[in-house]
Amino acid sequence: MDFSGVIPAIPGLWNGMIMTLQLMVMGVVGGIVLGTLLALMRLSPSKWLSRIAGAYVNYFRSIPLLLVITWFYLAVPFVLRWITGQDTPVGAFTSCVVAFMMFEAAYFCEIVRAGVQSISRGQMGAAQALGMTYGQMMRLIILPQAFRKMTPLLLQQSIILFQDTSLVYTVGLVDFLNSARSSGDIIGRSNEFLIVAGLVYFTISFAASRLVKLMQKRLAV
Amino acid sequence: MNYNWDWSVFFKSTGVGSETYLDWYISGLGWTIGISIVAWIIALILGSVLGVMRTVPNRIVSTIATVYVETFRNVPLLVQLFIWYFLVPDLLPDNLQEWYKQDLNPTTSAFLSVVVCLGLFTAARVCEQVRTGIQALPRGQESAARAMGFKLPQIYWNVLLPQAYRIIIPPLTSEFLNVFKNSSVASLIGLMELLAQTKQTAEFSANLFEAFTLATLIYFTLNMSLMLFMRLIEKKVAVPGLISVGGK
Amino acid sequence: MISIKNINKWYGDFQVLTDCSTEVKKGEVIVVCGPSGSGKSTLIKCVNALEPFQKGDIVVDGTSIADPKTNLPKLRSRVGMVFQHFELFPHLTITENLTIAQIKVLGRSKEEATNKGLQLLERVGLSAHAHKHPGQLSGGQQQRVAIARALAMDPVVMLFDEPTSALDPEMVNEVLDVMVQLAHEGMTMMCVTHEMGFARKVADRVIFMDKGQIIEDCVKEEFFGDVSARSERAQHFLNKILQH
Repeated sequence: MDFSGVIPAIPGLWNGMIMTLQLMVMGVVGGIVLGTLLALMRLSPSKWLSRIAGAYVNYFRSIPLLLVITWFYLAVPFVLRWITGQDTPVGAFTSCVVAFMMFEAAYFCEIVRAGVQSISRGQMGAAQALGMTYGQMMRLIILPQAFRKMTPLLLQQSIILFQDTSLVYTVGLVDFLNSARSSGDIIGRSNEFLIVAGLVYFTISFAASRLVKLMQKRLAV
Repeated sequence: MNYNWDWSVFFKSTGVGSETYLDWYISGLGWTIGISIVAWIIALILGSVLGVMRTVPNRIVSTIATVYVETFRNVPLLVQLFIWYFLVPDLLPDNLQEWYKQDLNPTTSAFLSVVVCLGLFTAARVCEQVRTGIQALPRGQESAARAMGFKLPQIYWNVLLPQAYRIIIPPLTSEFLNVFKNSSVASLIGLMELLAQTKQTAEFSANLFEAFTLATLIYFTLNMSLMLFMRLIEKKVAVPGLISVGGK
Repeated sequence: MISIKNINKWYGDFQVLTDCSTEVKKGEVIVVCGPSGSGKSTLIKCVNALEPFQKGDIVVDGTSIADPKTNLPKLRSRVGMVFQHFELFPHLTITENLTIAQIKVLGRSKEEATNKGLQLLERVGLSAHAHKHPGQLSGGQQQRVAIARALAMDPVVMLFDEPTSALDPEMVNEVLDVMVQLAHEGMTMMCVTHEMGFARKVADRVIFMDKGQIIEDCVKEEFFGDVSARSERAQHFLNKILQH
């Protein structure tokens, strides 16, 4: 074991980490937006909207993320060509971000739905009694309370996505794991770099989940 | 751009021997199921032991289990897989290393790595479920068992675990389903399970959409049928009047 | 002001309201009482369409609720309601609770809404708490804020759904005082409550409900006058509630 090769590789690893964080942040933001929409559809009085959202969630929750990433990587250029009628070059990065957003939306949807359902029915009655429309009630009264309650869960899911972004390895995107793999391979120290990668992932995830737990305790008081 | 839809592609010859694409899927599904079952057995046994350890009134024992859980939960599955596949064999004693790297065929060594990896990874999650299940039981149960003169292992084996397992069947089911989905990482170390075969079909036949549609359908069906199966089991083992089951 | 005509309501096969009819005139104070599960809360929630009903109609200030063309949010904005569990919005300050619907539903300016809100807060004696959150107030204080919140919408009628039954006994009176004052000012009110003292003091009429039906609907003097002239079920209820 010889870890001396790690120091000179730090700039490359750092770039990989930036890529990992970008993937995660975009996946989380897009996933929460789409997931909230899906949750509102699931909870809406319309049977059809609710069924469509339910099918979406069931579908994405029963297939592996790796399959979604692979499929989107191969299929997004095709689909775009159908829509635009011309070759639109799509990088692996874009297709991965889309894959994460759509996949995570299914999980975020369930978190948001549970959050909304945890708000007492009386709050809905009070909002309606003041003359609010369904949209106003959700936007001003229910969702702000629900998001407060579910922040820890949303953050935990984000930490899971932080780890899962490493699956972009399959389409050759140079995220943190992949940059560690290639830096290690170049100098023939792949085992050392693998250990470093594992430690870095561990440190970040562990610290983040500790913070979330602290926050949860604070919120509970 | 014209794409030639052709759903009969699965019955066509792959050009490799006399195999059809469907044969590839079947063999891929076989590996997926094989990996998942072996990994699940490891996860269930190890996870249960760890889960009990976390609730035992002994600081050292419960700390060991906690460290295990934190470690395996905070490192990405893929990194763990690479560690088991690339790094661990290098650390083995020479004779074992030779056996793993040379005597075993590549498929077997990949299979070994992936089941160990997935089993240990999932054990951390099973552990948390078992712990939750045990802690959800009224404290009086343990006291009552103690009052009757049971020793600690007897308390767990006869009183706590039988109740805890019943409570946690739903979360355990979803962990089991996660194992199935997670087994797809095996494709990244060259094991020809379902996802790898799907990718290969897409590349060989150029029928990308058909190939992936079939794969999602298989995963989806597998998921749904397992879920239904576990619901049946849940009903079967339910204690009348104790834990309300399904229904609602 | 409110005209309830033959309301029928079912939960599945179970009928919760059977042919309920009554009238509330402008300026009247009506107290609705009855044993728990008698459908009195359900009936009052039908008046602002928080609970749907299957048969009959309710007309509030000329607007029919059963009419599918009716803009329900608009109707509700003119009917004030006070809930058993206050239902202040916990994520908003007291001032925000008082102004949010004025701004978003009635379209008032923030300034106008705040003025109005603070004025009403003053009236229920809680000006000092304007910047707090609901969780920092006692139950009685929260309920007074809830009354102010409903009044801020300038309602034509106020509905009270057991406004004191979730309160500790020592807080009941501060809320009843506000309600009595409101009644003296001529507000049209429909109150579901067990507070017979309140009914004696300000009610014009008392409605007694049991098993989803209106059993008694008479002026206060009659209701509390000769008890033996009341129906058996009402006597039974009154005996229980007036014993102490």
